[in-house]
Amino acid sequence: MNILEVRGLEKSYPDPESDKNLKAVDGISFILEEVQIYGILGPNGAGKTTTLEMIEGLTDIDKGYAAVNGINVADNPYAVKEIIGVQLQSNEYFDSLSLKELLVLFGKLYQNNVDPKDLLNKVDLLEKINSKPEELSGGQKQRFSIACALVNEPKVLFLDEPTTGLDPQAKHNLWELIKELNLSGMTIILTTHNMEEAENLCHKVAIMDKGRILIEGNPKDLIHKYDQEHGNLENVFLSLTGKELRD
Amino acid sequence: MISSLQLHLSKIFLKIFLRNRQAILFSLFFPLIFIGAFSFSGSEPQPFLIGVEDKSNSPFSSEFIENLEKEDLFTLINGDFENLKLSLEEGEIDGFIVIPENFEEIENLDALKFYVDASQARQASIIKQAIDRSLVSIERNIRNMSPLFSVELEDVKSRNQRYIDFLLPGLLAFMIMNLSIAGSGFNIVEYRRRGILKRLFVTPIKPRDFMIGIVLARMAIVLVQLSVVLSIALLLLDINIIGSYISFYCAVILGTLIFLCIGFALGSLAKTQEGIRPVVGLVTFPQVILSGVFFPISSMPELVQPIIYSLPLSSVVSSLREIANDGASLFSFSASTIGLVIWVMIAFFISIRFFVWKEVAR
Repeated sequence: MNILEVRGLEKSYPDPESDKNLKAVDGISFILEEVQIYGILGPNGAGKTTTLEMIEGLTDIDKGYAAVNGINVADNPYAVKEIIGVQLQSNEYFDSLSLKELLVLFGKLYQNNVDPKDLLNKVDLLEKINSKPEELSGGQKQRFSIACALVNEPKVLFLDEPTTGLDPQAKHNLWELIKELNLSGMTIILTTHNMEEAENLCHKVAIMDKGRILIEGNPKDLIHKYDQEHGNLENVFLSLTGKELRD
Repeated sequence: MISSLQLHLSKIFLKIFLRNRQAILFSLFFPLIFIGAFSFSGSEPQPFLIGVEDKSNSPFSSEFIENLEKEDLFTLINGDFENLKLSLEEGEIDGFIVIPENFEEIENLDALKFYVDASQARQASIIKQAIDRSLVSIERNIRNMSPLFSVELEDVKSRNQRYIDFLLPGLLAFMIMNLSIAGSGFNIVEYRRRGILKRLFVTPIKPRDFMIGIVLARMAIVLVQLSVVLSIALLLLDINIIGSYISFYCAVILGTLIFLCIGFALGSLAKTQEGIRPVVGLVTFPQVILSGVFFPISSMPELVQPIIYSLPLSSVVSSLREIANDGASLFSFSASTIGLVIWVMIAFFISIRFFVWKEVAR
């Protein structure tokens, strides 16, 4: 069975500059097999985050269908929330609580009594157990927000631009963590505009622009097909999405 | 019933509050300043300052002055006409009396002259009554008469009602409103701005759990803060709470519920921290002025009184005041306590209507 299935997803927002609606997501379909890492690549404003938010139940689906583990998100958002783990782009937490207290709190939201030590050990933050999130570095913060997403032992982990803004060491460190989680049997879907990340981590990538998936496949196959000359995903990406600047 | 998740959440919100020392001090600051100001100034009315020029210097005039001095209402100052007139004009004294030279000559006595500032008519009549009393008693002495009638004042309510007794329930209601609206409304806006609500939304938490968690925590915070202010007022200002404390605290709890719910609605309406301040101001400021916090609603124009009485803060102020000042019971179902219960229901309804998880969390 496919762990995640998305068919013809659409989402429009009112455009502040004109009367018309702006299509943020325009008919997206893909499926995710169990224990894969799936990457959605695209420039800023391509609709990556909106796509994830619709599957997470955070944003209403205008049209189309999304199901996690066979559960329709629109019909039963709470059942879906129970089995997914989510890391959002912004990762701020309540003030003046320690990592330990935050993890216990997140566990309670799933009626789980979690072991904060075990979770923090997984993301290599055990020595920070009594620190506050604001005392963490960028990479540590990202690892902590992944720990928060693991409190319910999710079937699918959603990571929205997990490495944006991290230095190379922190980035590689996070990639290792994502790979480990995948090896332990977790299905992961992530968004990124980092080609290296997609090439390095993902079993399958979709290149997205202007609300649509332009192309989908195994990174190596895509490079083989579209950029035999340089042999990297970045050129595939640029040749598909164009070189003009995005906001 | 309250679930263990709701309890855990309220414990978390309490922890967050208790670790923020600044907020604790600040929330006590305003009411304590008020109480402090009252305890130092003393809320008893000042006696009138009355000047006397005694031109007669006779046993009669000294007896008259002695009689006047016995009145609690006055403090007497001696002086001559010119000086006293100047003091009166500058507002240093409230009036002055000139005792004529021929005060002893009962047969052809000139009138005793009492000079006042005409704009202070109310004081003048009180002072004049006291002077008359004093003159009558001197006259009786001279004629060797004992008074035919006597009056003894007996306070029907048999308690002293000072302005601070009136003010305190108003101040506490005002405090309840501010703390509650800040506790729900401002926090929601802040949590949303930082993406915390969005993060909570992707977990299976129900909006009800989140709201109850905040309500429980804030309720505890408001009750403790209010008790601190109340006990300081009881100790320093010798305030009397006539009614039962159970009634009083029940009214406090209902009032807190009203404004926590209104806070949820306002926090959901205003999308930004800049946005919520004017919205909250629009709701709270007119109520502080109108709802009888500082002076009774009955002093307002009669035409608008029904509207003012139906404001939520009015129902809290009036209920607290009835219990504290008049010894009413919350369960006597007076107009204001019924208003209180109706407002709890209205506020609950609008908070449910406006606090839509999906909208608020985004």
